[in-house]
Amino acid sequence: MNRIMRRARILLVLVLVIALGISLFAADYLINARDWVLFPGSPHLYNAGNLGCGIVTDRDGVLLMDMRDQRVYADNDVLRQSTVHWLGDRKGHISAPALSNYAMQIAGFDVINGVYTYGGTAGKAQVTLSARVQMAALNAMAGQKGTVAVFNYKTGEIICAVTTPTFDPESPPDITQDTTGTLDGVYLNRFVQSVYIPGSIFKIATTAAALEAIPDALELRFQCEGSMQIGADFVTCTGTHGDISLKEAFAYSCNCAFAQLSLKLGDETLDRYIRQFGILESIHFDGIATASGNVQILNQAPVQVAWSGIGQHKDQVNACAFMTFVGAIANDGVVTNPYLVSKITVGNSTTYKADYPADRRIMSSTTAAILQEFMRNNVQTIYKDDYFPGLTICAKSGTAEVGAGLLPNGTFAGFSSDPNVPLAFMIVVESSSAGSSGCLPILSEVLSACKEAV
Amino acid sequence: METIISGLQQADKTYLYVFQSVVRYILPILAGFLIFRCIRPLLTFRREPEIWAWLCLSKDKKLPITHWESVIGRSKRSDIVVDVPTISRNHAVLTRYDDGSWTIADAGSKCGTLVNGEKIDICPLEPDDLISIGGVEMTLQPISRRQEIRLAQLRTRAANPVSSVLNLLLLSVMQILFCFSYLFVADAEDARLIFVGFMGIAIFQWAMLVFYLVIRKPSFEVETLAFFLCTLGMVAIAAVKPSEAVKQLIAVFLGLCLFVGIGIVLRDLERVKRVRYVAAVIGILLLLITLIFGKEYHGAKNWLIIGSLSIQPSEISKVCFVFVGAATLDRLVNRRNLILFILYTGAICVCLAIMNDFGTALIFFVAFLLIAYLRSGSIGTIALACSAVGFAGILAVKIAPHALRRFETWRRIWEDPLNAGYQQTRALMCIAAGGFFGLGAGNGWMKRVFAADSDVVFASLAEEYGLLMSLMAVVCILALGLFVLRSAAIARSSFYTIGSCTAVGIYLAQTILNVMGTVDLLPLTGVTFPFLSNGGSSMICAWGLLAFIKAADTRQNASFAVRQSKEEG
Repeated sequence: MNRIMRRARILLVLVLVIALGISLFAADYLINARDWVLFPGSPHLYNAGNLGCGIVTDRDGVLLMDMRDQRVYADNDVLRQSTVHWLGDRKGHISAPALSNYAMQIAGFDVINGVYTYGGTAGKAQVTLSARVQMAALNAMAGQKGTVAVFNYKTGEIICAVTTPTFDPESPPDITQDTTGTLDGVYLNRFVQSVYIPGSIFKIATTAAALEAIPDALELRFQCEGSMQIGADFVTCTGTHGDISLKEAFAYSCNCAFAQLSLKLGDETLDRYIRQFGILESIHFDGIATASGNVQILNQAPVQVAWSGIGQHKDQVNACAFMTFVGAIANDGVVTNPYLVSKITVGNSTTYKADYPADRRIMSSTTAAILQEFMRNNVQTIYKDDYFPGLTICAKSGTAEVGAGLLPNGTFAGFSSDPNVPLAFMIVVESSSAGSSGCLPILSEVLSACKEAV
Repeated sequence: METIISGLQQADKTYLYVFQSVVRYILPILAGFLIFRCIRPLLTFRREPEIWAWLCLSKDKKLPITHWESVIGRSKRSDIVVDVPTISRNHAVLTRYDDGSWTIADAGSKCGTLVNGEKIDICPLEPDDLISIGGVEMTLQPISRRQEIRLAQLRTRAANPVSSVLNLLLLSVMQILFCFSYLFVADAEDARLIFVGFMGIAIFQWAMLVFYLVIRKPSFEVETLAFFLCTLGMVAIAAVKPSEAVKQLIAVFLGLCLFVGIGIVLRDLERVKRVRYVAAVIGILLLLITLIFGKEYHGAKNWLIIGSLSIQPSEISKVCFVFVGAATLDRLVNRRNLILFILYTGAICVCLAIMNDFGTALIFFVAFLLIAYLRSGSIGTIALACSAVGFAGILAVKIAPHALRRFETWRRIWEDPLNAGYQQTRALMCIAAGGFFGLGAGNGWMKRVFAADSDVVFASLAEEYGLLMSLMAVVCILALGLFVLRSAAIARSSFYTIGSCTAVGIYLAQTILNVMGTVDLLPLTGVTFPFLSNGGSSMICAWGLLAFIKAADTRQNASFAVRQSKEEG
């Protein structure tokens, strides 16, 4: 019996295996539980590839989407269409990184309580968008493709960001049946995922570079005879502007003047400043990384450097990045990072609050002030204030030639210099028959809606 | 019943939410308290050596005999050490029987064993018989009836009835809370079944305790742990497949019958010896029937369908196997029966291999290793057996793509979360979602996963009632393991020690494979968690094995499976 009693200790091996296994698992749980619950497809958080818990409201508390069970979108179809690119659709054709990024906060996950909430209370994510402005913007776009966005350059809140074409997530279209091309790129969020040829709005950047790099830039004079020969090539202009100052050249959007300015700056200086201004950088917020812009200025032929300074050649910018740049001009040269998700609450506890410090200066405040004045002058003399009642708008338009026999894209970037309405905007209307002027009525609608929203 | 169900179902949601938010903390506390109360006496009881007889070597030299089976020999590991060179290392075996009689048997010694001058192989002993081994003469002096009664009186009592009743009250409160949680959220039809399921278990446990109190064996800790696990199993069923609540309840009832039946058989070692051939035949017959008439589900042909009844006979075979494995040992230090047992095991393994039932084969293998080691003590033999089985296992895996796939997925579940790693990834996601305290009744998602109430029941339970609750289920099994280990030290007979160690070894092995398979520490083998997993055959088997643990519980008044004379009680 003594032997058998002693041999019974073999059971300790099994006991130890369990003890060891449980300890390993406990450690694994404490370290990885968060990853398990956040893993795409995790049933308590996701539903068909998109987040499947919590609700989303706009800045004023208007319900945009209830993600529990089968997601329920807003009642209003215009609102649904204008926000689907931020919220994602049921089938996961459009992902919503800004929401997935906060899956843990929306679900209210912690290692002790898991995703338990009292009575299954849904987490509430509040976005900075205004439902009213989104709808106004979508209506104003009137079926044209492009993007229009507005953000608060003091705080970074994105008030409006609409991308078209779009669709109603409650009755998704069958894009394979579309032969008209109206649904081309319908799943694309043009505000963050696309890059556009900027056209003349790029002259804001070229002007900023000149103001930073050339001490007597304001004294410079330019000659415009309607076109200008550089080597064997020509830079053409929209008119014959004669002998003009930088401010006038900026207002008239004179290509000849900007060709001369670009050449005076030279490829290296122009390239350096474009990069310093962050126009080409990918903007990061709420788990979103915008598409990076692109220029080819260094070691290019003079005519190409000239066209680059005008906003053509190989220039490509992302709407969000350019809006951020324009916002920095309004904010005395300091960049404010835009963001979309302002606050997440679960029950009574706040699990997330947006906090993007604005601390990166990209140009001197003098340069910013001069640009503000130039852009204000543009509106006063060229675009007219009539479009913007009650607002002090500073802006620059652009008409981007895209080639391939397509109509040019209309672009428009600017801001309100009124300290009570600290908004910067960026708009792209693809293949606009009215060129840049096609942007004005849209902007007029959007900004007046924004003014009320802020 | 109807009033309670409809009352709860029509109650305002606020009541449900408040109830859930309170119950999620109360239940683990109650469970922890209950387990603590049950485990403490199991792990702290005083192990008092029992003296059953004296071996008188001379007038002033008496050696106490503390077991029912004792080896006399020169070896230091013998139970009775007589260090004389003429005595073999393991010379003879003294055995006590239920009626108080003794025998002596020669254990293949060099110079034999003599009783009253005659060389014997095995021989009953009378008090004055002169035993002579290796030239040393001695007599056996069994303790008198009075001394035996005195011994029993001095032994610490296993438990008092009040404590057992209190424990069961605690468990009943938990059962009511669990039951109500599901009545709130289940639809009316399911609610009825769930109600019957929980209340049925409660009735069984109280009936059992009343029975124990009547026969004056008030120790109910082991059973309380088993009923606690059954309750958690019912929770998993309520969460995953409420329609099977009553079926499982019937299984619990059948299990209890088997438990009592085997317990009664185990009271008498002579009876055990008679029954063991029957058990051996039943064990292999069940497998053969399955092999011929069985149905294949999910790669393993281990189901027998009789009308609307589906059973897994291999589970019942486990109980027979333990019975046979422990009982073929007539005497200590006898090798002949070990070979027979190895052959028997081989036959069973062949059956399981043909059935493709990898998980069960593994459990049988663990049981075999335990029995083989306990009996031979030879690591060498075990190593040989291991390598043989390992080789066969490799062949089996090569042949069976079903098993192979599980090994391929192991530790790589996140690379294929939608196919091969589906069950485990969902399990981990849901365990994490449930946190320590769970999401509450009806809020789980695991019910959509295959075998959520059996193979990955650990996760289903954790999701709705928290990781703490799931871990407590594991702690129950661990506690049984440690209890058996402790009681082995004062075991009376090798049969009970081998039986209880193997039974608890099967529990431990199943728990290891089930839990660690669920959380991807081991490949998922589809082995059930004792008492917890949904499955009638598995439940019946778990209760059957519990009888072996009960039979090894020699604490005073602890077990109906241990015979005591009237005077002792």
